[in-house]
Order: sequence, then structure tokens, then C-alpha cells
Amino acid sequence: MHLADAATAWWIWPLALFCLTFLLGIVAVIAGVGGGVLFVPIVGSFFPFHLDYVRGAGLVLALTGTLAASPTLLRSGLANLRLVLPLALAGSIFSLAGAVIGFALPVNVVQTALGVIIVAVAVLLWVAKGHDGLDPAAAANFDWRSRRGVLGIAAFGGIGFIGGLFGLGAGWANVPALNLLMGLPLKVAVGTSGLAISLINSSAAWVYISRGALLPAIAMPSILGVMLGSRIGARLLHGMPSVVVRRVVISVLAVAGARALLRGLGIWA
Amino acid sequence: MTPRSRAMDPQEIYARWLERGARFTFAFALLSLALYLTGALEPLVPLDDLPRLWTLSAADLRREVHAPSGWDWLRLVRYGDYLNQLGISFFALLSLVCTARVIPAFAKSGERSQALLAALQVIVLLAATL
Repeated sequence: MHLADAATAWWIWPLALFCLTFLLGIVAVIAGVGGGVLFVPIVGSFFPFHLDYVRGAGLVLALTGTLAASPTLLRSGLANLRLVLPLALAGSIFSLAGAVIGFALPVNVVQTALGVIIVAVAVLLWVAKGHDGLDPAAAANFDWRSRRGVLGIAAFGGIGFIGGLFGLGAGWANVPALNLLMGLPLKVAVGTSGLAISLINSSAAWVYISRGALLPAIAMPSILGVMLGSRIGARLLHGMPSVVVRRVVISVLAVAGARALLRGLGIWA
Repeated sequence: MTPRSRAMDPQEIYARWLERGARFTFAFALLSLALYLTGALEPLVPLDDLPRLWTLSAADLRREVHAPSGWDWLRLVRYGDYLNQLGISFFALLSLVCTARVIPAFAKSGERSQALLAALQVIVLLAATL
């Protein structure tokens, strides 16, 4: 059962979406996760929109957030264009394929797979170190060299496919791939991931646009809400108990993932 | 790196173009959203119909409202909803434009493999628009 039935005045939903994404923007920054990965399972599970539009909005939401941040990341050296190009090329090709396949599959299959992925992401975030952790490689201002380039390209292909299929921002997977697999310092991995998402999501976005899966009344309030919330979140970052917020976010993600899974399986319609 | 060589660096060029493009696109998107949601610009799909239509799949919705296929929607940007779609398309277009811009910059600096990768990325993004 959704929060209300489809007969509710149209403007209630964009307004509710704006409020929710504003909140998501705040907690995403504090918890150190991307807003896109929270948006699709939560909105897809608890709002009356068809999953096509939620995936489309989630993809564009992750795209716009990274577009806004990328110039600063590039100038500060926290994102590296030369490193991103081969990774983004693989990611873009597979993201495009993921988006096309996503429209060919029955919605319950996509919903079930989304539930599995989101529960897996929640587990990954739970066991991974948060941004409060003391990482000796956290600083950007020391010499580093990427390694395992071929494996990195393969990883970005797989991550791009999942991102395009479900409309997820892929920072939750890009950052470990860049940091743990390719040996980039954590801050550079975070920045480079943002630049990569801006390129990779651009390719899948065209599939969603051409299929009519980007409804402005859903996508635009979400983009604005997350962007405003992220700014507030960045200001609150130092004064908030990020470990507690992170645990709450992971719990919400697990519930939303379970809901998507059960909904896809027809157990909790 | 001197200020001049820094300005010619492909990474700086990409950042500069992306910054300007993003500013324009966000301003355009905000304005078009205001025109759409306030009803100042009439939408092709009436706003009151949305709660029924957004429960349909994208394919069903397109059939229901007789939405144009391919790039034909560009002819409908006089309507509020399609003007917003144009704003969203600008977001998706930004990376393509910025990547295309750094191809000659990479070639000029002798980084042929990077120029090739950027060109391939542009081809993939162009293919995605088709």
C-alpha cells in the first residue's frame, strides 16, 4: 500500500518528493553515501510512481550532483580526468546496455534484482569503514600511482551496468574499486568516482530520455531537494554524530531493499 | 605549472567548460521548472492527470498521451513539461560537450592515447543519443 492513493492532488507528490530528497541530501552527506543509491529504493518502494520514472530520476539526480561538484574536484586534483577516461568509457558502454536491458525486462524482475542489490549495498556499507575511519591513505597530497588498470576497467564496466539498469549513482561501488582495487588515496577515489559518474550516467540518461522515463514533475523536485539538502548536510557535517546517522541510513536502505525484493516477488505488493 | 600552461591543461579546460555549462543548465532548469509548476507555461500532459499517468510504465504512458518518439519531442518545447525535458537533456549533454572539447587539447599536448579515449567516449555518448 502506498502512502496514499493515486487520486491525491498531483502537487502533493512532487512536494513530498522535494521534502524527502532534501532530507536524503542531508543524511547522505553526513553518512558518506550517495543520494542516488538512497533515492531509488526508498522512492521506488514508498511512492506511487512506476519504477521506470524512479530509475530515470535517480540516474539524473546522481548525474547532476556530480556535474556540480566535478569542476572543483578537477581543479583541486581530487579527480583525475586522464584516469577517468578509460574507466568511464567501459562504464558508459555497459551503463547504456544496462539501461536498454532494464526497459526490456518485466518490472517485477527489475524490482527483485534491485532489492537484492540494495540489500547487498546495505551489507557492504555496514562492513565497510565510514568516512570517520583513520585511513593512512586518505590525503590527496602525496604521490600515488594507480594499479590493476585492466581489473579497474572491468569493475567499472560491471558497476556501470548496474547503475544504468537501476538508475543508481554508483559511488558505493566506484570508491572501493578505485581505493581498494586500484590503490588510489581515499579522497582521490571519492573525487574521481564523482567525475566518472558524471560521464557514465550521461550515456544511460539518453536511454531514459528517449523512452519517456524522465518525468519532470518527479525528476526536477528530486534534483533540487538533494542539491539543497547536500549543501545543508555539508555544513552540518562536523557537528553531527555521523556514525549514528550512517547506521540509520544503512537500516533504512536495508528496509527499502527488502521492501523492493518482496514487492518484486509479489509477497508485499 | 605556469598560469598559462595550467589554462591549456585539458583537465583545467574540462573543468572550465563544465563549470560554465553547469551554471547555465541549472539556471535554465530552475526557470523552466518554475514556469511548469506554476502553470505559466501550459504542459502537454495536464498536471491533474499525472497521479494516474505516473503509475503506468514509460511505454504505456507514451501510448496513452501519444508522446512523440525519438527526437520529435524537441518540436514540443513550447509546452512546460517538454521544456523541462530539454533542461534535463542539457544535463546529459554537458559531459559530451566537455569531452569533445578536450580532444584537441590532448592532441596538442601530445597525449594521443588520451585524445583517442576522449574521442571514443564522445562516440559512445553520441550513440546513446540515437
